[in-house]
Amino acid sequence: MKFDCIIIGGGISGLTAGIRCVEEGLHTAIISSGMSALHFSSGSIDVLGYVHNKVVYKPFEALDTLTGTIAQHPYTKCGKPLIVEALQFFKQECETQNVYLFDNENLNHFHVTALGTLKPTYFSQRSVFNEDVYNRFKSMKKIVILNFEGYRDFHPKLAAAQLSKHALFANCEIIAKSIDMPQLQDITRHPHEFRSVDIARIFENEENVYRIADVIRLAAEGADFVVIPAFMGIHNFNQVHNILQSRTRLLIYEIPTLPPSILGLRIDNALKSRFAQLGGVYIAGDKVVRAESNNDVVQAVYTTNHPENPLEAKFYILATGSFFSGGMISEFNNMYEPVFKLKLHYEPERNKWYSPQFFYSNSHPFLEYGVVTDENLRPYDSKNNIIQNVYCSGAILAHYNPIREGCGSGVAISTAYKAANQIISLYKLMR
Amino acid sequence: MKTLETEVIIIGGGATGCGVLRDCTLRGIKAILIEKNDIASGTTGRNHGLLHSGARYAVKDLESATECIKENRILKQIAWHCIEPTGGLFVTLPEDDPTYHNRLLESCKFAGIDAKEISVKKALAIEPNLNPNILSAIWVPDGTIDPFRLASANILDSVERGALVFTHTEVERIMLKQNQVAGVQCYDKIAREYFEVYAPIVVNAAGVWGQHICETAGIELKMFPSKGSMVIIDYRINNVVVNRCRVPSDGDIIVPGDTVSLIGTTSRKIPYDKIDELVVDDDEIDILLADGEKLIPNVSRTRVLRAYCGVRPLVAVSGEMDGREISRGVVLIDHKERDNVQGLITIAGGKLMTYRLMAQMTTDLIAKRIGNKKRCITHKMPLPGSEKRVGYTKKIKYFSGIPNSVVGSTHYRHGERVHNILSLQKRNYGLICECEMVTLGEVEYAIKNLKVKDLVDLRRRTRIGMGPCQGELCAYRAAGLFTEFGEFTPDTSTKLLKDFIEERFKGMKPVLWGDGLREFEFTYWIYQGLFGLGLVEEEEQ
Amino acid sequence: MIKLENISFDHCIKCTVCTIYCPVARVTHLYPGPKQSGPDTERLRIKNPQLLDISLKYCSNCKRCEIACPSDVKIADIIQTAKWRYSKKEFRIRDFLLSRTDLMGTFGTIFSPVVNFFTHLGIVKYFLDLIFQIPKGRTFPNYASMTFRKWFKEAKKYQNKYLEKVVYFHGCYVNYNYPQLGKDVVKVLNALGKGVIITKEKCCGVPLIANGYIKKAQSHGRHNIRVLSRALPHEQARIVSASSSCSLALKHEYPNLLELDNTPIANNIAYITQYVLEEFEKGNIPNLKPLKYTVAYHSPCHLERMGNVAFTIELLRKIPGLTVKILHSECCGISGTYGFKNEYYAISQAVGSELFKIIEEANPDFVVTDCETCKWQIEMNTKYTVVHPISLLAKAIE
Repeated sequence: MKFDCIIIGGGISGLTAGIRCVEEGLHTAIISSGMSALHFSSGSIDVLGYVHNKVVYKPFEALDTLTGTIAQHPYTKCGKPLIVEALQFFKQECETQNVYLFDNENLNHFHVTALGTLKPTYFSQRSVFNEDVYNRFKSMKKIVILNFEGYRDFHPKLAAAQLSKHALFANCEIIAKSIDMPQLQDITRHPHEFRSVDIARIFENEENVYRIADVIRLAAEGADFVVIPAFMGIHNFNQVHNILQSRTRLLIYEIPTLPPSILGLRIDNALKSRFAQLGGVYIAGDKVVRAESNNDVVQAVYTTNHPENPLEAKFYILATGSFFSGGMISEFNNMYEPVFKLKLHYEPERNKWYSPQFFYSNSHPFLEYGVVTDENLRPYDSKNNIIQNVYCSGAILAHYNPIREGCGSGVAISTAYKAANQIISLYKLMR
Repeated sequence: MKTLETEVIIIGGGATGCGVLRDCTLRGIKAILIEKNDIASGTTGRNHGLLHSGARYAVKDLESATECIKENRILKQIAWHCIEPTGGLFVTLPEDDPTYHNRLLESCKFAGIDAKEISVKKALAIEPNLNPNILSAIWVPDGTIDPFRLASANILDSVERGALVFTHTEVERIMLKQNQVAGVQCYDKIAREYFEVYAPIVVNAAGVWGQHICETAGIELKMFPSKGSMVIIDYRINNVVVNRCRVPSDGDIIVPGDTVSLIGTTSRKIPYDKIDELVVDDDEIDILLADGEKLIPNVSRTRVLRAYCGVRPLVAVSGEMDGREISRGVVLIDHKERDNVQGLITIAGGKLMTYRLMAQMTTDLIAKRIGNKKRCITHKMPLPGSEKRVGYTKKIKYFSGIPNSVVGSTHYRHGERVHNILSLQKRNYGLICECEMVTLGEVEYAIKNLKVKDLVDLRRRTRIGMGPCQGELCAYRAAGLFTEFGEFTPDTSTKLLKDFIEERFKGMKPVLWGDGLREFEFTYWIYQGLFGLGLVEEEEQ
Repeated sequence: MIKLENISFDHCIKCTVCTIYCPVARVTHLYPGPKQSGPDTERLRIKNPQLLDISLKYCSNCKRCEIACPSDVKIADIIQTAKWRYSKKEFRIRDFLLSRTDLMGTFGTIFSPVVNFFTHLGIVKYFLDLIFQIPKGRTFPNYASMTFRKWFKEAKKYQNKYLEKVVYFHGCYVNYNYPQLGKDVVKVLNALGKGVIITKEKCCGVPLIANGYIKKAQSHGRHNIRVLSRALPHEQARIVSASSSCSLALKHEYPNLLELDNTPIANNIAYITQYVLEEFEKGNIPNLKPLKYTVAYHSPCHLERMGNVAFTIELLRKIPGLTVKILHSECCGISGTYGFKNEYYAISQAVGSELFKIIEEANPDFVVTDCETCKWQIEMNTKYTVVHPISLLAKAIE
């Protein structure tokens, strides 16, 4: 098959780039091997949460510091104006699929984790951050954290204890509770697989939502704020949220917990349906295994399912993610990028890949390993030549640490946007 | 300060200490065991879990070999739920000295070990993953033994019979009254308080740490610690023990242990002051994997879960020697005779296999000192869980409604005690650890009955967090249950979670590549990225 | 013991993604999901086969878990293999008959008017339900009065006028139930200037695998590999199939599940839309008249697993005048013979309900899909006619 642009990798970065490309009229395919990291994410979009291990409140100001000091950082290559534009683009695209993202007027806000810690982020879904949450938050006196009896992946008591230590909640009573949900009687027939999705599917049924709302109202006992694990519906979450809030007259807040993440799933669904709606071709469950090049220009790629039939395009975006997603492979004493065998930034000695402790303050070096690119996000091959028609975006890029800096999704979106922009302008030039 | 009184104080909750406690209790001697960490957290729990037939010692150390096969037969009777009589093979590789094969056969015969030569074809039929290029094979009655369950069952039986056990409690010093032992001063590391226990007899069963225990009583006892490292493979790559038929050396054994396989072992001398900060060296991993691959070629294609090491408790009888050279024979010291300190007994050396025998020898001495006339019955008294031998099929039928994988795994771990754990209530068999099929009921049982003080202890009792995901899903689930089932505050639970993740990471570090690195990245996303566990401030002490 | 090739469970990171996308686990809690039934318990089964959970029989082998898996774990293959490797097979007449598509087909076509009459009778359905545990709600596909192979005897005569030849694996469904699709395939291939070769093929083995007749499936597989490779006019010649499940069997199930060496044909097999699209892209496009329809395209699970959905969609988009609505990817629930069994019937219907709903919402002129069993399921549960993309293309060819 022939395309204008083939994007390898169907996660947040690949999809953002894909949507941008099809919107501009490029015949675009995304090849994705397995579901992406969005399924384990918080469902909030972090732009920049920490610099030098200090919490960032003003991400765009902090960006200047960051880009000023780390020349290789993907954000430096994007530049602030493009990052701002990319984020707006992303927000609007999500909105077309009824996923509404809220920010704190260019400031970071915090979302509560399953352990009751607070993490800075930029965009959140409506059930995590919005103006009501912001306003009610200031005068809040009582929070109730609820779990549904039998659900093993959330422990409200742990969250409550940790949250109450925070200065912000000093004057607030935080109560942890478990509630019984009649609909769960059947589900516990096989408690083996009893995950967030199973409960989220109960919420998909409107009749159930009304009954759940009544149970929540009873359990809340005069609280201002009710916190539940994130499973308020996969598709009809806006409606579920509205019903729950209006029927209980409470603010209902969602916390993402052990995977799969329903909040992340919503974004994944939104981006995929947007891409399909615009006419993009999404090839799921296939893996690009090799490429064919000629004079530093990639001609075609081949996949596991079609080892002999080329998929051809004028441009390629490599958004295959980190080690988890298979973007990079680590071996006993080696690391490599499997599709184009690109030049990587990494340490050859295995014992340099990690830090002495799991929760080491400076995180782990391997998270910063990745593909080295020029300022246009074009990678180098093993002979140090720039590959002309390939661009890299997202977690495969080197020189940033998504967790330590709290910038994973921001980098994924910005670099995707930049890569797509360049392809689009070249494509237009060619026409 | 709290004080307690008893007849015998046992220092050290390894297999030997636990065995002494049980033997004393069964003979009606009042005893208290004090362990600085957890049951089976030292050398006992840090070996490859081989139920020796004795064949590995047959050529060089006949005495050990004979002891082994004797205890092998006893343990299969009294502790069957901790044991899998898998059988074992000794295989000769093309590069090995072919004469060792016959020497081994003859020595086994001499030691009374039922070893027999089998054809290469038959060996490959028994163990299809074996290197097909082997030259010859010997079948021996090796097996596997779970040291955690073994030690824990000894404790459980003793406690049910009235003994007291303090884990996470350090012995600060042995108190003497002139030349007579008066008791010990302890520090409870969790409650952060000191207390004293008085008794006329103190048994030093602290293994390699026994040197330090003796020092607190002003006695010199020299240990020669030797480190042994092992790696754990993701699944059971072999179903029988595979030994290399040669003079014992690094990387010559692969033991199937429950759902995984272990490649052992290296041997390196280490200074005594380093015994608490052991690390597996990168080159040890290289050796173990390279040699493991020679026995079972599949090793190179399989995910390595962890590497860990233990320290062999070799008592220096005279002079310094290589770790493997010193006899692993039992050393029982009556310090009254050696150092003129009455009431102090040190039991050291030996092997996991001979823990019961060592306990018997020690308790015989104790009994003699306090005038107890009862005879040892530990060789015929089954441990809790091993009372009745019932096969899987019957158990699975009994608990029909609960998935076979759950019933089978729980029964495998706890034997007959499965009836104290599983119930047909749905919530009871909800899975906490999905890799190893640890249910909510099992966690509850362990927290309430098995002296569990943290997630690492829980792991030793249940295998939680020991599967391929190394705690990624179950750690958080289980941490919350400490608040639910035990007297733990939510803050403690969170702290235990953090400690557990760090503990798991320690063993993952040396083998972080391939899927191991992917798993680690994923776990890091969850616990640091999604949960912000690293942001939880440790309470100031 | 385990073979080197079968250790994909070792790559499972326990990320739980597969559990979201399992259509069976979504509708019933009798099935603990692909993670538990596949990689999790495979480790235990290797330790002791008695630890097999019978709940894995609920897996319908749709393979959506494999598409979702970011770690390349062959989850469905692990489960299918476990079904026959670790559990005792009990003989059931129903399973025997359902899996012998060729035997039933031969019988069915000979007596087609009678068979078709009876299988639609309420009282017969009642007894099928009672005796064979075949759900009475299930509609049976009709048998044709003349098999495709019989028809092809005529068509074969003019295939020699084409220089380039393609081997066509028609499968049981085309032969016994729906020869029209076969005729359409021949028409399309001829329009592309290709002659058609058919071989003495046997059932691809998919229903045999699903019902645990592994040895039989292996012997069919070996036979098919042999006859197909012999029929190849030259090394690069293509073997096409218009059935997504037959293609999947030839390409994936033979080596991965049945452990057969399919290298003599592996690179020659192409699902028909892929082959046709390749020809189109080479410029070999027959004259197409516009089809002024709105169709809703449903992507069958097995075609998704093969990575061929994009080819079908691209091909449909090449038919002038056609408006194609791509339905959100959902399993129809029938999964071959799965939906023909009482114990799974309710699950099968519940799985499909999501798809039926979105078809109704799309309200097309008809539904297009590549798979014969999807067709039965959709036609039984909605008011729409289901056509194969190749039939649609044949219609456009003048």
